Formats: sequence, structure tokens, C-alpha cells
Amino acid sequence: MNTLQSVGHPSARIDALQRVTGKAIYTGDRKLPGMLYARVLRSPHPHARIKRIDVSKAQALPGVKAIVTHENCDVVWGSGDTRNKRYLFNNPVRFAGDAVAAVAAADRHTAEEATRLIEVEYEPLPFVLDPEEALKPGAPEIQPGGNLSPNNQGQRAPEVYRRGNIEEGLRNASRVFEDHYTSAHINNAQLEPRVSIAHWEGDHLTVYASTQGISNCHTEIARDLKLPPEKVRVICQFMGGGFGNKNQDQDFDLMAAVLAKQAGAPVKLEFTRKEDFVCVHGRWPTKQYYKIGVRDDGTLTAIQLRGYSGMGPYRKGTGGIAGIEIYQCPHVERTVYPVYTNMAVSANLRGPDYPQGVFGLESLMDDICYSLKMDPVEFRLKNMTRKFNDQVPYTSIGLEDCIRKGAEAFEWKKRWRPEPGSAAGPVKRGAGMAMGSFFSNLGRSSAVIDVDSQGVYHVHVGVTDIGTAAKTTMALIAAEALGVPLEKIDIIWGDTDRCPYSVGESGSRTTTQTGWAVVEAAKALKAQIAEKGMPQGKDILSATANPNPSIPGKARYSFVAHFAEVEVDTEVGHVRVTKYVAAHDSGRVVNPLTATSQVKGGATMGIGMALHEELLYDRASGQPLTAGYYGARVLTHRDAPDIEVLWIETEDAYGPYGAKTLGEPTIIPSVAAVANAIYNAIGKRVKDLPITRDKILGVLA
Amino acid sequence: MKSFANVNARNLKDAVTQLRRPNAIAVGGGSDLLGMVKERLVEPDVLVNLKTIRGLDQISVKGSEINIGGLITLDTLSHDPTIREHYTVLAEAAESVATPQIRNAGTLAGNICQRPWCWYYRNNFPCFKNGGTKCFSVAGENQFHAIFGGGPSFIVHPSDTAPALVALDAKFRVVGPGGERTVPAAEFFTLPKANPAKENSLAADEVVASVHLPRAAKGSRSTYHKVLDREAWTHAVVSAAVVLQMDGERCARARIVLGGVAPVPWRLEKVEAMLAGQRITPELAAKAGEAAVEGANPLAKNGYKVPLTKAVVRRTILGLVQA
Repeated sequence: MNTLQSVGHPSARIDALQRVTGKAIYTGDRKLPGMLYARVLRSPHPHARIKRIDVSKAQALPGVKAIVTHENCDVVWGSGDTRNKRYLFNNPVRFAGDAVAAVAAADRHTAEEATRLIEVEYEPLPFVLDPEEALKPGAPEIQPGGNLSPNNQGQRAPEVYRRGNIEEGLRNASRVFEDHYTSAHINNAQLEPRVSIAHWEGDHLTVYASTQGISNCHTEIARDLKLPPEKVRVICQFMGGGFGNKNQDQDFDLMAAVLAKQAGAPVKLEFTRKEDFVCVHGRWPTKQYYKIGVRDDGTLTAIQLRGYSGMGPYRKGTGGIAGIEIYQCPHVERTVYPVYTNMAVSANLRGPDYPQGVFGLESLMDDICYSLKMDPVEFRLKNMTRKFNDQVPYTSIGLEDCIRKGAEAFEWKKRWRPEPGSAAGPVKRGAGMAMGSFFSNLGRSSAVIDVDSQGVYHVHVGVTDIGTAAKTTMALIAAEALGVPLEKIDIIWGDTDRCPYSVGESGSRTTTQTGWAVVEAAKALKAQIAEKGMPQGKDILSATANPNPSIPGKARYSFVAHFAEVEVDTEVGHVRVTKYVAAHDSGRVVNPLTATSQVKGGATMGIGMALHEELLYDRASGQPLTAGYYGARVLTHRDAPDIEVLWIETEDAYGPYGAKTLGEPTIIPSVAAVANAIYNAIGKRVKDLPITRDKILGVLA
Repeated sequence: MKSFANVNARNLKDAVTQLRRPNAIAVGGGSDLLGMVKERLVEPDVLVNLKTIRGLDQISVKGSEINIGGLITLDTLSHDPTIREHYTVLAEAAESVATPQIRNAGTLAGNICQRPWCWYYRNNFPCFKNGGTKCFSVAGENQFHAIFGGGPSFIVHPSDTAPALVALDAKFRVVGPGGERTVPAAEFFTLPKANPAKENSLAADEVVASVHLPRAAKGSRSTYHKVLDREAWTHAVVSAAVVLQMDGERCARARIVLGGVAPVPWRLEKVEAMLAGQRITPELAAKAGEAAVEGANPLAKNGYKVPLTKAVVRRTILGLVQA
């Protein structure tokens, strides 16, 4: 791979100093003149009909300026549910935490007091938390038409993928392995809680959001409030993470706007940490039933999955259970039921469909390896994907190198035990690995670059930088494409009035799509400069690019293999990750410094998902018990192991300088790698996430 | 949170006078209480701020006793050279609490009087601790609940310093409107069968002013071992405070008190008696572990605490002898 001037060199974030010195203005820091504060009243019931709401006492409280409920607000939150009509305030309420009313008042305290003065008479309805239970006849109906969420064609049918003939594949197998796994609802747990400020000037609305995508947030606010897009402006200058649950417009953006309109003053709506964990969305819990056919030599013949995903009562995400595509296999059948339940809503969290699916799949694959007395590394090298779904060639694939070089760096042969649980106790070590892939498609995005007579290049990109260092990435790509030093690049971001469309920081697409637009805009600008010379005086030159590239006949994917060694104290059930190697093919790495941080963050998140995190519910009442950082047992700095990152930089002709996607692949195999390492250490498998102490001591008892 | 008045106590007498006002609560470091106020787990009309009382954050030697002011922060306590050397179990227990930020604010008396972290209680379920008549953990999620001393409430006592103080035979000086009383630590904490709404014998208008430790006996050594689910900011799943008074190779006297397993610091008198006068061998430590869980009465989901407790007791005793 050729060396470049800017891209590929470790570079500190261009806004690092602002962030660490407190100069960065986050949405929560903003205060507008005359601004009111809002609070939300939420349902204490997992499912209930609201028979009566009386806001008169709240209205009478001095300082209260606006109250909205389902009775006076019929705004439909289009992004809150892609299948049903989800209002900002619903009746019936469908989970403990569903919004019932919102109040804007002169200060936070008054707003909270007012929510308590709202009288609500509920008629509690039967509820169901488990997705499989929710499909049984006689289960409480959560949405009209039943609890199986409709597919994209509006049919009440599971999501099915088939190739080959599963029956034939199972018949062709020497052995068939069967098992089932579950994964829990966990929260995105980003640092910055929800916050939105809405400010009307006449019929023009400005929303200071905390969003992963100003462009989609902007168009969706306009859609949901029935405003012309040019009457809406979304600003997000600094934001503190989201991991998938701050994309698109959010109910709090809309609530703030509706309250601000009613009150005639700007409104700030902040969620508490508990609301953040329960009332937005987290990763969908799953139940997975696998059947895998394999020949004696370890060749896969069939993979069958029947899965259930608990979506909560609104369909906000796919509910997919992915991972099968990382294997080459002639006969595949995947049937996934996205099901309405009365738990917290589920939708995108870093690699939405993957880590839980890869956990189940790679757990069973691991068991197959031990049964066939095959090294899991060899098994994966034998069976790994060569073409996407065995059909479409990849633009580039570094998976084999991820596995080989990762295993070498990890010292797999030394750490992995052919006989699981064979280490001398009571503190036993073991090693596990797993692999993954993630789509790295190209697609539509935009960039505008202006150059002034001082030779400063003003790059307008609609990114917000959710922690991935997107601003810095865009600056490096611009510097490279323009052939100028990084200091000559000025990034303008996070404001829909100043930035063109950007894809939104979801699907790990910003580097590949908006980065590509930057390359194209730079090319166009350089052509102008070549023709007209550099601008003089107050003149500027400006170039816009709106590329929408596609790759016919090929699949573009990133690949990853993770290796974990754990130490399990079999007497106290404690797990410690003692070594971790993450090998990634994300094409060319634009900024090795921040890319490495992405991998460390993703792997650490996966370890937390493997060992601790769960939004646990009380089954009898339908109430969540573990909302917040304490309850969720999110990993602390002291829990994070050293993580060694290996870059397998494959080249293809696509994306900015060959960059492929990165942010989400980082978590995909981590949960399974840790689970497999625990099995290798203790010789017993925990099949239900998270793998907590009680479960470890349970299987060892 | 509900509106409340803040009163800065001028001295202990003033504090207990202020606490007699309707619906008043004492606050020390506030690291837990303020969160509870925000969550409306408590809705005081008056918060009596004890931090303004001078001199209650000191450690002093008085005759054969060490006096520790109730307002000392957990961080200061854990770093005090006398405590570290002679009352290691207390220093280690204080150091194991929560996070550095919380230890910088949280006080010893506050830690002793901390309310339980049962998720039903903390999520405002109408349980015994919230003024109700039911313990929801019994038929619900009881992974972290009591295996000893439970009923009708099955909370576990959340304090790390409490087991250490019971193991050290500490006494608490409790100040109330009628004057002061001195209570042995072991008697301060009360089981739910006495009153399921409370964890101790402190009246609403009393405060724990200071803690008194007897002079450490010659040959005594101690340690606190805490099992956490992650490396910081969790309460003990199970913990053991062990004080051994060694006479050469033999253990003259032992104090073993568990955290995380019962609604009070759970003293293992039978195990203590097993060790007294004995040379502590791996075999004896293993027997101590077995004896430690005699009478354990686990619920549906906390049975793992039985083998866990066994291992913790055995290891902590042995580790201390071999140290």
C-alpha cells in the first residue's frame, strides 16, 4: 500500500483541546434568553389505557408555561416506529416509561413538580415481556394486528433468508449440532444524556440537538411537524456519543418543539440518566435456535436459525440476528421474528444485528470444533466466507489475514487448550476467538469546499462527530485530496444552514460516504484552481460534490477477527480478560490514532455486553430494575484490558483512498470471543448473555 | 426532587435539635442521599447538613481508644497511617467503596448508615423499605439478596466499613436530643425481623457522631476482601472482614464478619471459635469456609453466594495468615 501525505498518519483530533479544556459547547451547555425547561411524565405501567388525564392542577402551578399530552398533541413520531403510527404521547401506553405528558416551566424544578400534579387514571392492561411468549395465542395484543411486527411489505411474516435447501444440507451432514442462546436488552450507555433545545422565530424552528445526523434529523423534524424543510435548522456542534440511538429525529426534539410553540419561548428538554436507559432505546434481546450440519472433515453443509427479537412495543429497528454470512455454506435458512413486547424499545446499537447473532452462532461453531477435535482457527479458515452469501465477490477481503495474523500476534497455539477446562485450577485460563464482517457500501453524501485568498480551505460537511473523530477524518481526507497541510483545512460542521447533506453517523458510513464527497469536491476545486488560479482579495472559489457511487456486481465489506484470553476464578466465578487482540480489515486506515481508539472502545463495549450488561426486568410488574450506569455494570476504565490492534489494510478501488467501514465491526466478534474463551477456560458453556458470576458458578456447580 | 430547606448544623446539639423538625433528614457527604432525594426515595422538608460541624472529621487517640469522627471522608480514613497499620481491615474496606469521587465526599458515618441498594427499593417499589408491606425480591429477581438473616425483608447491608467495624469491636457514639449513648457496632445494626423498614437502631433524631476502636491487640492483623462484579463502583457481592490476633503460629482470637450476604454485617461466631487457639492450616481454613455457610438459606437466584462465601472465607483467612 502506497504511503500518503496526510491520510494514514496518526493525528490528534482537531478539536481535542476544545474538548478537554471545556471550551466545546455541547447542547446541554447552551442557554438561550427566556429559555424554559421541560420534564416528561412517564407511564408507571408496562401496558395501560389512559382513561383520564387532568392537567388543571399542573397548569395552575406558577411558572408552568405549556403542557402537552395525547389529548392536545397528535404529532406522529415517524422515526419512532416504521410500521405503526407512534404518537409523541400514546394511548394506550405500552411500556413502563412510555411518555404520557410533557411540561415546560420557568425552571427544571417547577417542571418536575408540575408533572407530579398531572392526574392520570390508568386502566392497567395485561403485558408480556418475552418475545416468544408474545407470539403465543392469547398473548396480550400490543399493537393492532398482533405481536409479530409486519415485514417491509406490510405482511405479518417473519424475516426469512434462504439459499440452497436446508433439508438437503442437514441430510448431507455427517453430524448435526443443535443448541439455543439468548441475549439481553442492553443500553447504548453513551455519556451525554438526551437533550434538545427548540427555538421558534416566527414560523422558523431552530433545534439544538444532540444528534448523530443533522441532515436526517432536519428532514424528519420537518416531516413530523409538517414544516417546509427550509423552515427548520438543526445545530449540533459537539455531542457526547450515541452508539446508534441518537440518529434521526427523536421524540425529545419534537416534544421540545411542540412545547416551545405552545409556550412562545425556547424550551430545553433534558432526560435523566434513568430515562436515557429506559425511554429511548437499546439493543434488542434475542432468543436464537440454531441447527448446524457439518461433515466429519469440518466442512459446513447447513446453517439454520430460528430467532426471536424483542422490539419493545414500537418497531424502530430491524430486529435482525446476523452473522451467518461470515461462513461459506451451501444451505442456509434464517427465520427471524421481530416481536412486539412491553419492554423498553429496541433499535440500533453499534453493529445492530450482529454481536448477539455472532455470539450464538460462534458459540455453536466453537462447540462443533471441540466435537470434531478441530482447532477453531483452522475451522474458520476452512469455512470462512469467500464471496458474500457464497454468491457475490467482495471488492477486497482480508479476513484470512485477520485470522492468521491475529492468531499469531495472540500466540493462539500457546494460549488455546484443545481440552477445554483442562488448566490447573482454581484460576483457569482459556482462549477464544470469533470473526465478523460488516457492510461497507458506498452511497450518497455531499461536501462543499471553499478556498479563500489566504489559501485556507473551508470544508463544509454535515457531520457532528459522535466520538469517531469524524471532523478530523474529513480534514485529513481534504488535506490529502487537496495536497495541502492539515493546518490549511478549516472544517465547518454540525449546522444544516451551513453544511450540505451528510449521510449521518450511522452504519459506519461517514468516512466512506462523506469522505468520498470530500475527495470529489476537492477534485472539482482543484480543477477550478487550475483553470482560474487561486482567488485574490475577497474572492473565493467554491466546489460542491454530491456523489452517489455504487459498486455493481460486488460486495464491499470490512472484516474482523478478535482473540480473547480470560482468567476465570472457578471458586468465585470472576472473569478477567488477560489478553486481547483485534485484527481488522477496514481497508486503508485514515487515522490510525483514532481508529485504534475505535477498536479499543468497541471491544471493551463487547466485553461489557459479554460479562455484565442487561436491562433486567421484574417479571411480575414489568418494571426495569437495572437502568443507569450502576445497575448496568458498564465496564469502568479499571476493567478494560490492554487491547492490541492489528490493521490488515486491503486495497480496493473504492471509498476515499480505499477506506472501508470501521466503527461498528469493532464490537461484532468481541462478545463471542470472550464467551468462547470462558468455555475454553472452564469447559462449561453459558448460553445466556450476560455471562455473570451466578451463571458461571451455576454451570460449574 | 421535592423542595426542601437546607440547615447548616452549628454543632451536634444543634443538629439533633434541627432533626426534630418535621420530616428532617441528616446529610453528611451526600454522595448517596442527594441521589435519593432526586429520585424521591426520600422527600425531606429539611436537610440538616452535618458537614458544618467542626472537628468531627478527625482521628484522635484517647487513652486506650482511637476515636474517629463520623464526618471523616472515606478517602482520608483509608489513607490514615494509623488506620492502615493497626486497623488495616477498616482502611481496606474504606478504600473499596465505590469510586474516588464518592470516597472524597462520602463519610464514615454516612457509609455506616447507608440505605440498601436493593433494586426494588431503589426503583421505588412499595417494599418494606419504602413504607410498604412486601419484599419484592422473594418472588422476583434476588440474585444479590440475602442468604442469611433474611425475612421479611431480604436486603443485604450495603456498607463496606460496617463489617470491618464489627470485626474490630468498634463502638458508635450516638448523639440524640436526650444526650449520647454508646452502642457496640454489632448491636447497632438490626435484622428486618426487628423492623423491616430499617437497618439499624438509630432514631430519626439521632446521628452517629463518632466511632471508637479499642487499641489493636499485640499480634493482630486484619484484612477486608471484597468481591465486586466489576473493578469499581459496585457494592460487595460477598465480602469478608477478618481480624486475627496471632500468638506466634497460633491464632489466639478471630473475628470474621461478612458483607453482602445478610441484612446486617454477618458475624461468624462459630467459625471464630473454630479458629481460636489453633494453627491455621489450609485444611482448617477450608473447614472454616464450610462452617461459614452453615444455615445459609438462599432464595431462587442467589444460591451461588453459598460456594462464593465458602471460598471467600477460606481464602481471606488463609491469605491473612500467610501474608
